[in-house]
Amino acid sequence: MPPHDAAILAAAERIRTAHETNQPTPPVRDQLPPGDVAAAYAVQKVNTDHWLDARRRLVGRKIGLTSKVVQKQLGVDSPDFGMLFADMALADGEDVALGRVMQPKVEAEVALVMERDLAVPDPTLTELISAVAYAVPAIEIVGSRIANWDIKLVDTIADNASSGLFVLGTTPVGLAGLDLRLAGMVMERRGDQVSIGAGAACLGNPLNAALWLARTMVRVGSPLRAGDIVMTGALGPMVTVVPGDVIEVRIGGLGSVRTAFSA
Amino acid sequence: MTDIQKLAGTVDNAAREARAIAQLSTGTTLTLAQAYAIQKASIGLRLARGERRVGVKMGFTNRAKAVQMGVHDIVCGRLTDSMVIEDGGTVDFARYVHPRIEPEVAFLLKAPLEGSVTPAQALAAVEAIAPAMELIDSRYENFKFSLEDVVADNASSSGFVVGPWHRPDVDFSNLGIVLSFDGRPVQIGSSAAILGHPLRSLVAAARMSTAGGERLEAGWIVMAGSATTAEPLQRGLFVQTEIQTLGRVAFTVGT
Repeated sequence: MPPHDAAILAAAERIRTAHETNQPTPPVRDQLPPGDVAAAYAVQKVNTDHWLDARRRLVGRKIGLTSKVVQKQLGVDSPDFGMLFADMALADGEDVALGRVMQPKVEAEVALVMERDLAVPDPTLTELISAVAYAVPAIEIVGSRIANWDIKLVDTIADNASSGLFVLGTTPVGLAGLDLRLAGMVMERRGDQVSIGAGAACLGNPLNAALWLARTMVRVGSPLRAGDIVMTGALGPMVTVVPGDVIEVRIGGLGSVRTAFSA
Repeated sequence: MTDIQKLAGTVDNAAREARAIAQLSTGTTLTLAQAYAIQKASIGLRLARGERRVGVKMGFTNRAKAVQMGVHDIVCGRLTDSMVIEDGGTVDFARYVHPRIEPEVAFLLKAPLEGSVTPAQALAAVEAIAPAMELIDSRYENFKFSLEDVVADNASSSGFVVGPWHRPDVDFSNLGIVLSFDGRPVQIGSSAAILGHPLRSLVAAARMSTAGGERLEAGWIVMAGSATTAEPLQRGLFVQTEIQTLGRVAFTVGT
């Protein structure tokens, strides 16, 4: 048993309590060995196992820290991942109470849905593409259980990669002939452009992010399975939302998706 | 009284000699109409030297760029053949004061456009669209200016490069755009940043040109305005813009 087990359990409990009571917690990084990514993922896994025991259903993964700008802000050169549970999924355009996510912000992303398991060691890009059923445009409503988003890498990893809720578009598009790298992205709030980007902003190509995730998931013994949703990462800057906001995202070649916030 | 012709000579000389000057607005009070008159007169000096008019450029058509420069109105400028940079060619850094590059969409017109036109009328006048870049180079010190200053200085226009022409029968409202230096992305955006749709920029170009006493002519190129903030150029850079569906355009900055 690693010596820091108690610290990991304590950090996990703090985040879980914040989640359940809707009261943010100070950063957990001081509780963990400095910069210890493995310990941070161990914290995340404690809570994932807890929630799976509580009958939350795992439906996919999210990839975070896929933009060069955000990586620079946090001083990291690698993305991270978190778990997507079924109860985090919203319908296209569905009203969501702002309080459902702590300190919410929205990001526009490409979501992939797996057609087949991808469990071989070090899957290749072609194996990934062959295993993907389709892509849809998506909005991720990220949130942080850490007070004031005062996060370092270990905080966000421990906090399930700052995941909150997600919304998927409803018109699946196959990857054949789809140029995700140069897919344009525009996010609008009442017709105002609040975030603009393209596929290239996500690790150079959303498929690069998905491949990183697929390989990482095999390595940690939790490979992507048929039906899994993969939120590949933001295509432009994240945006803070307030009650009353309706956010629409359009992604070139993929169509559009919306989410609405009530008080 | 504002001496339009004298101020036109001032910005024209600065452009010719690649020399930064003080803002015109520090020495005199300019109206926007006077600023456009200075622009027209300064281009007149270029035409008198044998340059040929080839189109117009739109500026500050995206919010991030407007915020970058602290300017809040769309502006237009005039393009001449001396500003053409060959696709795949090399530009001479010494020709400029402090050049910056912007990724854009270019329109080629097959019919004139003037006054108030609908987007449908504007599109019907488009022969082709292309990935493009504009090399902007304010003649003012530190790239700082008022709206009137930048208009008088031909909206900072200095050079433009247009890639392969494409029929305008694609949806170009939200095409991904990547501007890269030496193969590394430095700006990532979408054609949607250009007034929400680049066609709106063409509609505005028709309206503003008519207000300025001319019309958009068949055969002219209209640069729709930047999709991102501008990036400073340096000697030796390989500069490329890729646009979803439209392809790429590139040039090298001489050492």
